[in-house]
Amino acid sequence: MGSTSTKIKLRTSDQKVFEVEKAVAVHVIHVHSVSGDILSKILDYCKKHVNSAAGKEDISPEELYEWDANFVKVDQNTLFDLILAANCLKIESLLDLTCQTEIRTTFNIKNDYTIEAEEAVRRENKWAFDMLGV
Amino acid sequence: MGQSPSAALDRESSFSHRFGFLSSSSLGSSDGFSDEILANRDFTAEIPDECLAYVFQFLGPGDRNRCSLVCKRWLCVDGWSRYRLSLDAQSEIEASLPSIFMRFDSITKLTLRCSRRSISLNDGALVAISVRCQNLTRLKLRGCREISDKGMSTFAKNSKNLRKLSCGSCTFGAKALNAVLDYCSNLEELSVKRLRGIHDGAEAIGPGTAASSLKTICLKELVNGQSFEPLVVGAKNLKALKIIHCLGDWDRVLQLIGNRNRNGKENLHLNNYNSNGNNDALMEIHLERLQVSDIGLSAISKCAKIENLHIVKTPDCSNYGLVSVAEHCKLLKKLHVDGWRTNRIGDEGLVAVAKHCPNLEELVLVGVNATHLSLGAIASNCSKLERLALCGSGTIGNTEIACIAAKCMALKKLCIKGCPISDIAIEALGSGCPSLVKIKLRKCRGVSCEAGEWLREQRGSLVINMDACEVDGGFEASVSNGGIHEVGVDYPQVVSQVVDRDASTSSNGRLALLRSKFGLFASRNFVACTFRRWSNNEDSFNGNL
Repeated sequence: MGSTSTKIKLRTSDQKVFEVEKAVAVHVIHVHSVSGDILSKILDYCKKHVNSAAGKEDISPEELYEWDANFVKVDQNTLFDLILAANCLKIESLLDLTCQTEIRTTFNIKNDYTIEAEEAVRRENKWAFDMLGV
Repeated sequence: MGQSPSAALDRESSFSHRFGFLSSSSLGSSDGFSDEILANRDFTAEIPDECLAYVFQFLGPGDRNRCSLVCKRWLCVDGWSRYRLSLDAQSEIEASLPSIFMRFDSITKLTLRCSRRSISLNDGALVAISVRCQNLTRLKLRGCREISDKGMSTFAKNSKNLRKLSCGSCTFGAKALNAVLDYCSNLEELSVKRLRGIHDGAEAIGPGTAASSLKTICLKELVNGQSFEPLVVGAKNLKALKIIHCLGDWDRVLQLIGNRNRNGKENLHLNNYNSNGNNDALMEIHLERLQVSDIGLSAISKCAKIENLHIVKTPDCSNYGLVSVAEHCKLLKKLHVDGWRTNRIGDEGLVAVAKHCPNLEELVLVGVNATHLSLGAIASNCSKLERLALCGSGTIGNTEIACIAAKCMALKKLCIKGCPISDIAIEALGSGCPSLVKIKLRKCRGVSCEAGEWLREQRGSLVINMDACEVDGGFEASVSNGGIHEVGVDYPQVVSQVVDRDASTSSNGRLALLRSKFGLFASRNFVACTFRRWSNNEDSFNGNL
């Protein structure tokens, strides 16, 4: 069973069908509420991150960071759709990225984090449980 | 979002706020702006830090974490305004502890939780935390198996402000608890569950300097419950005592408590002395799956202030003991009895409750063979009864429900589970209990869906929670509708946790005794546990019905 060649089919709310490698689509998902455009963007994101993590693509953390920053340079509506889709598909890293961007955009806050500083905070955040009282 | 962030904004700023908002949304990114002051303005900069912190209060930890990544100012504000933190207490966290507690420097409530699969943080890490969290008032430990007596002692020395300690599935022992009780003189709540480090011959656990500050003690699943006797008896101002599934001679302990204020010398030292003679502050007692009999209940009857009493699965308690409590504890507001179908508590005890406890607000009966004789008396005499639950009893039928319907004027919430009632009972409820707000029916096979529908139509404002109707209509069907958590999954799990593989060999015999004594009735328990979650809530009924 070659896991790299296993493909999964996804059908979106507007009846488009996508075929992706299993490594890219990590979870079993319902994509009823996600449109074709958004899903295609999300698959780009997942592919990029999986490939860079697996070393398939030669890309430095700084370059990936920049790629992410460009990825979220979209209009408010698209950004909002990305948030909803990331939430529905449970893609934590994309959810974090899009939420932060949305907040910054809405309130016009400058992102004064360096990559290292942001990474450090993310690592710390992982130690804190998400659910109150659990 | 039409309002300016701060009331103090003058007209000029509010104009630029609107202008800036429009231009930022069309550009869609905060990078690469021109240096125009209007477009670059951070709108949240107008909000003072304290207000931003106030907003964060409405968010859960996950959202707060996301906010902390927006910008450095938000990181900072979130950091100093977080009072509650729940950490994954694996050993690997140790390296991150300094930066975590530099960032969160105001923590008062801390949870350290480690799963079974991981190795927990150790003494060094715990002590490091205590040094950094000078304001810690509450600590919860779960599964921190690497923490020893020594670590807890040092922690206690550094945590003079501690008011609440809750530890479960840890492996330290009596020395650790005594250290906490000696150093934390403001300790108000102590909850100990499944502490594996207390072996035979362990030192006794006394109230220490916390003797007058302790208000709540909860002991659960402890093999050496006897070691806690001095603690329980010595906590003179105790308001609530909960002992669940612990080995020990609890009759003796309760007698010591009941008698503790009979001593004339002691009375003079108590601040809230009144002329009644018995000054015991105890208001709430939960006894569950214990070695306790009518002797213990008679001792409890000496605590005249008791308002909340749970007698759950204690087969040595009978009507005699309940009568004794009822006759002397006239302030009783909440009573839960789980007779475990041993038929030792029934009408006789409950009639005494009806006679002597006019303040009763909440009554839960599980596996108790009550009939209309006692239920009618309670319905008539306990005019404040608002919440009633009847569960797993073969004697509660249509007559009983009709009685309740006719006489319970103040009843707001009613739950009937696994009782042989039929549609006739529903009919009675159609016109009775004028104050009824919510009704829950589970596993009452004699009640049809149509009756439920009829009741809904009869009493429009009544919230009715019934099993969904299945073709099979059997036990399994209602399990799948009501949710697995409703069935007695709780109890067998608890028993197997007590009989743990890594328990010390010296306590194996005791564990086997515990299991055999209370494991016998496991199979009969299918309804009792469905109630536990319900009846264990702070406000028992609210929100769960």
